Amino acid sequence: MFILTKIADLVQIAPAQFEKHSRVAIEDNINAKYSNRVIQKIGLCICMYDLLWASEGLIGHGTGLVNVNVEFRLIVFRPFKGETILGRISSATPEGINSKSTPAPPTAASFELRPPDYHVVRTDFFEEIFVSYKELPESCEFNHNAQLWTWVVDDDRMYYDKNEPVRLSVIDEVWHDQVPESTAEDAVEQAKKISPYSIQGTMMKEGLGVCIWWDDTEE
Amino acid sequence: MKVLESQAALLTNHEVYTFLQNQAREYQEQKRRGPGNLETLRRELLQYLRSEENPLSQEPPTYDDESIAKLLKRLRPYEIQKGEMVMIMNLRPVNIPMLNAVLEDMEERFTAEEQEDIVAGVEEVLGKFPPKAQEEGDVMQTTENGS
Repeated sequence: MFILTKIADLVQIAPAQFEKHSRVAIEDNINAKYSNRVIQKIGLCICMYDLLWASEGLIGHGTGLVNVNVEFRLIVFRPFKGETILGRISSATPEGINSKSTPAPPTAASFELRPPDYHVVRTDFFEEIFVSYKELPESCEFNHNAQLWTWVVDDDRMYYDKNEPVRLSVIDEVWHDQVPESTAEDAVEQAKKISPYSIQGTMMKEGLGVCIWWDDTEE
Repeated sequence: MKVLESQAALLTNHEVYTFLQNQAREYQEQKRRGPGNLETLRRELLQYLRSEENPLSQEPPTYDDESIAKLLKRLRPYEIQKGEMVMIMNLRPVNIPMLNAVLEDMEERFTAEEQEDIVAGVEEVLGKFPPKAQEEGDVMQTTENGS
């Protein structure tokens, strides 16, 4: 789930931070820049893990900023494809709506007629995890009143309740570079609406899905 | 910014958890606060790693710095890949369905006895949640003390 990524960068320390030890000032600058941010194709940065190297500080002309070249390692959240991780269901939403048509009766044959519904799963710190209805076990149905998915096994109904801890396996990742098309304000806003990094998961394997279903199978 | 090495190493949840806890303690001792984005993320991440289903939430802790070495030694007879080992550390599969969720093609690769032995090994090294007390309906109550 977590990796270390080695990065080289230029850190600029403002005069107001001169009272800090250099090491502290450098670490704070790195964390302020990277923590909780996504680097494309790398992952969600957590924080600096260690500082590998730092140059002498050079004071820039006119600004008084101290420039330091650094190399460091970052802790990064980047589950690999095929990795099973824990999350919580945050919502189950019908997407791409033709929702005036009544939902198809819950039989396996009409399954494909339904709108592409998504499970949204989140962890406490990362919210962009999606499980498509295609990646739920076969005999699942969506309850439009309660807005949740149900797994029907024989005559048992098992619910994918909101906030329920689940295990899912990562099958794909989607990157979106938030570069706006123009400098106009709404273009900038628009570009920010799409999440820079999201994960597609599956629950179609024994042991995946709501955790408590699999807890006590021994006795 | 220049990425020198995109994946220099893999970390287990326990390593990240220990790192963040130490960081939080050090900052407190030095009476310093990190940037706001770090403080928020650290709080949320610790909350995630300590959440109920996560083996790191168990008290007293069953993980320590030697856990990885011990687990590798115990499961050496089996050909388990690095990524799968990380998942075993993170998720602690203590029954066959859970093991199935972390090992690819488990049924072809391991016999039923081997699966049992892997699960037993995981429990030996990483422990297991105490059985939950029987209570109906009241899901909010934590039962971590066992009874």
